[in-house]
Amino acid sequence: MGFSRIPIGHGVGLRPRHYGRMLDERPPVDWVEAISENFMAPGGRPLAVLEKVRSEVPVALHGVSLSIGSVDALAPSYLQRLATLAARIEPALVSDHLCWGSHGGRYVHDLLPLPYTEESLAHVVGRVRVVQDTLRRQILLENISSYVAFQDSTMTEWEFLSEVAGQADCGILLDINNVYVSARNHGFDPIAYLDGIPGGRIGQLHLAGHCDKGRYLLDSHDAAVPDAVWDLYREALRRFGPIPTLVEWDDNVPELDQLVVQSRTAAAIEHEMAIPKAVNA
Amino acid sequence: MTLAETQELFYRLVTRGPDVDPSAVAGCFLGSPDLDAAERVGIYADMYLWRLVDGLREDFPKLAALLGDRAFLALCRDYVAADPSDDPDLGRLGRRLAPFLRARPNLARPDLPALAALEWARAEVFFAAPAAPVTSTAFSAVGDDLPAARLSLIPALRVLRLDHDVVTLWRQLEQGQLPHAPTPGQQGVVVWRTGYDVYHTVVDADEASALASAAADRPLAEVCLSFARRPDPAASAFAALGSWAAEGWIASVRSPEGCPCPLLGAGAHIASS
Repeated sequence: MGFSRIPIGHGVGLRPRHYGRMLDERPPVDWVEAISENFMAPGGRPLAVLEKVRSEVPVALHGVSLSIGSVDALAPSYLQRLATLAARIEPALVSDHLCWGSHGGRYVHDLLPLPYTEESLAHVVGRVRVVQDTLRRQILLENISSYVAFQDSTMTEWEFLSEVAGQADCGILLDINNVYVSARNHGFDPIAYLDGIPGGRIGQLHLAGHCDKGRYLLDSHDAAVPDAVWDLYREALRRFGPIPTLVEWDDNVPELDQLVVQSRTAAAIEHEMAIPKAVNA
Repeated sequence: MTLAETQELFYRLVTRGPDVDPSAVAGCFLGSPDLDAAERVGIYADMYLWRLVDGLREDFPKLAALLGDRAFLALCRDYVAADPSDDPDLGRLGRRLAPFLRARPNLARPDLPALAALEWARAEVFFAAPAAPVTSTAFSAVGDDLPAARLSLIPALRVLRLDHDVVTLWRQLEQGQLPHAPTPGQQGVVVWRTGYDVYHTVVDADEASALASAAADRPLAEVCLSFARRPDPAASAFAALGSWAAEGWIASVRSPEGCPCPLLGAGAHIASS
């Protein structure tokens, strides 16, 4: 089937601090990304804000609780709520993370890494197909930041991500900050990661800030995009061409204007590079 | 290790479960000279608790303020250990905190469960489905069937019967005032949302019973019996129904087969307030 990139430009995450301005003004961005779980309730202000924003710019739904790699059964009620939200919002993109976060019906509300093995690969691929069949659309899976790796892994993360995307026929949400953070935490080359990803599968990029904890980097999303991540973003654009890009900022969230400046910086970098049309691997 | 075994071990380590063999960590996870495997897993274990505490603090800001950081953290740690999250939505984690507090011995204050119940009700109605409320004319439209009619209350409404005055406590905390000493006593409280704003108000015990009866889909005749102890029960019932409509608490008045009502006459007029 393959994957088709939707050219929606540069966006920001929709966060509660900005709801007031989002209701009162047209969002000054090309598109916004909403955390799916925050809008699954049947009513209230968040959903009203999202519907208003959706009437003006494209919306991407980005989940954190699909738990695609968990050995728990996929939660039917969760999938149904996601399908209902997607039908209501008609998002440009639907994504979640290549990770797991539940065990025995208990949720840790975190993005835990998987061992990169053939068993994990077959498990995730089968579940992505179920999700895509249920939603009747392709989803994108995002690489996570991680702090631990497994003795049993037989593939690199980028090999695993590429295999999942190819076998399950889904898209990739490539988080540039996560590539950088994990590269530092595990000692791999972030450029090798980019070189190992099939560009034609990438439907979206994420940018964010992180925190240096001394012996490791923490994916904190609480600061501006640092220079090293901007540099890696340039490398990604050089390889993959223009890709819808979103700036995430989840803690110590600044005024909307500051977030928009970050998003416009990403657009300016893309423009300055005068990138040729998308290159598919 | 199989994927299932790996996740079982990882989950127990992240949630600091009991009886985890330390040697299993090195057998499963990779470390490095500057950060060994146990330290790496520990990063997740630390984040696990803080993430849940932050989620609970969002839904229980007054409880957190009243307890202070250390006691609130201890409460959250005990709560999630006893009742781990079983919903993909972190926002649902606090739904059993009030009963947990009620069953907890040696509370710092006996009104903590009631305060938690109030805050959880406010959190719930914030996200409840919207519904257009009816006006008091909806009662007239039912005509002679009024005693047997049933009310649908708006989804964004909760009726609480609490054992302490936590409405005053909530207001003091909201205004940054010193909280009063726990004040025992039955207190009926209605929590509801109008537009995007959440409100709560104290109601008399019989009115709380009437609302609970309406929420349980009992006929109006039965709902109004809650006011039977008042000097003028019918007038009290009419006034209450009128005020419910005026506040926007009623989504519909449904007309069924008739049944006699000792308080409501056929075609009774419900006054607006």
